Amino acid sequence: MLLFAIPLGITLALSFGTTDDLGNALYGWHPENYEQAFDPLFFPVLMRSVGFALATVGLCLAIGYPVAYYIARFGGRYKHALIALVVLPFFVNYLVRTYAWVALLADEGLVNGVVTDTGIRDEGIRFLNTSWAVIGGLVYGYLAFMILPIYAALDRMDPALIEAGKDLYGTRWNTFRHVTMPATFQGVLAGAVLVFLPAVGDFVSAQLLGGPGTYMIGNLIQQQFLGAENWPFGAALTTVLMAFLAIWMVLYLRSAARAAREAPA
Amino acid sequence: MLNDARIDRRGLLVAGAGLALAGCGVGDSGGGSKEQVEKKIKKKVDGDLVYFNWSEYLDPELIKDFEKKYGVKVRQSNFDSMSSMLAKLRSGNRYDVIFPDQSVTPRLVASDQLRKLDHDQLENYDQVFEFFHDPVYDPGSAHTVPYGMYATGVMWRADRIGDMTGSWDDLFREDAEGKIYVLDDFQEAIGMGNYKNGFDLNSFDQEELDKTQQTLVDQKPLLRGYSTDDVQNMLNGNAWIHHGWNGDVVNVRNQADDPSIYKFEKCREGIPVGADQIAIPANAEHPGTALLFIDFMLDPENAARNVAYFGYPMPNNGAVDAFAKLAKDDPAITVTTDDLERGDQFDPLTGDRRKAWDRVWTEVKAA
Repeated sequence: MLLFAIPLGITLALSFGTTDDLGNALYGWHPENYEQAFDPLFFPVLMRSVGFALATVGLCLAIGYPVAYYIARFGGRYKHALIALVVLPFFVNYLVRTYAWVALLADEGLVNGVVTDTGIRDEGIRFLNTSWAVIGGLVYGYLAFMILPIYAALDRMDPALIEAGKDLYGTRWNTFRHVTMPATFQGVLAGAVLVFLPAVGDFVSAQLLGGPGTYMIGNLIQQQFLGAENWPFGAALTTVLMAFLAIWMVLYLRSAARAAREAPA
Repeated sequence: MLNDARIDRRGLLVAGAGLALAGCGVGDSGGGSKEQVEKKIKKKVDGDLVYFNWSEYLDPELIKDFEKKYGVKVRQSNFDSMSSMLAKLRSGNRYDVIFPDQSVTPRLVASDQLRKLDHDQLENYDQVFEFFHDPVYDPGSAHTVPYGMYATGVMWRADRIGDMTGSWDDLFREDAEGKIYVLDDFQEAIGMGNYKNGFDLNSFDQEELDKTQQTLVDQKPLLRGYSTDDVQNMLNGNAWIHHGWNGDVVNVRNQADDPSIYKFEKCREGIPVGADQIAIPANAEHPGTALLFIDFMLDPENAARNVAYFGYPMPNNGAVDAFAKLAKDDPAITVTTDDLERGDQFDPLTGDRRKAWDRVWTEVKAA
């Protein structure tokens, strides 16, 4: 609890501070940092971050659900090994994995080398420094957080339910819609939250894979600490971002609480 | 279960303790004391070297040689701008040897963050050019030795684009849309904008800054990105035109399959020049090894090898011939002490001027 509250407290205190001539942070009472944080100039940056994060959640779901479903239902003996394989790349630091993408997707990098050598195109495809590269990097970075909760929910599900569903609903799609989806809904929600919250504040993907037009709120905050030497403003932005994300967290917790109350004994 | 989500009294107390602990100086410059700065460093091995520099800015063979010669390990970290170097120092990280430049060194000297260097102990100090024995940014060269001399200009790939005009307008070419990079450094970028608009490099007149801000914002659709990793961006084909530094074009050529396609130009509206230094932070854990490293880099043979690696002129007698060889093929990369005396250098920015420039840069990035 202490490890959580102390940095939070310092950030809060810093957000009301200002900087001296040499760029050092001074504590005080300067709420104008928050005025600056709500400058309409930064609103598109926040909206863009939310947009990227939602796209990331969507893609993670589209990729992650089938993977989790396949492993849980058809993995059999290899279930644990397969899940371990899914998780294995995530032992490598997120920053390093994203750098690998830079090398792979550069205009004259490995992927484009194949594209030009095999004659698919004369010139390389521009993958990097686009919004889709950033979203791709985010998806790649957080996919495991979507797969694992869904896998857990599917694994927990009694396969007899699906058999019963097939009897009741006939087609596989109907079974899925009426039995599997509701049963795994909490897992999906957990995965969505685990992906959405960090993705909004992410700055690594945008910095390495993005261009000047993909600036996210995480980059804006990072710049205040590493570039602009304006730690108090960065702290104010951080607090605003945390408050924004806390709203979603509370909504999720209420939904989870309600589901737990309604769950069969 | 929802009760757990509410903040209770204990939570508030803990947050309050956090606020109190804030008095522990988070965000302070990590400045040292006068005694720490003045204490004489004994030039001997006192541990591994914690090294903090730009990436690809010192010959890795020299690092290996230093490790072998003194039987230590060199633990390397990199920064990608003066701002992030300062941020890391401010967070309390302890490095033994750092490479600040003249826009930042006066600040570090003034806030007692650099150890005094004893020139008597540096055997190779007499190799350093006279010009740097009493530089403006560090009187008496008491806390630093010079490293490289640089000029900012434009690098480009002659196989992809031609007809460069020797002007900062070259960074705004529409036929290279999506293949242009500007340095991710607020002083370099805003300075470039100032030059393009015919203003002083370090102008902080609000009207001029507003105009420069608009110029930079208008440039964004043409850009591939903001980056100081000019060597890699040129090599991996992402960049055709790159706002960059003179020596880096040599570094690119050293690594490229076809060196002849990489060119560098200085721009007629104005050329930012400067020098960087090697220094020992006040809180260095192994200043003895650091002093050995500085003497090692001042050795004329090592300086010559370093010049061949990174392409910048070093103000060291031993490096003059090595650089002359590089400059013969490409005079554009030359920077001399005359240039430093007469040329435009980035002012060390503090206070309101710093805030004004910071604001421009933040708004350009977010726009």
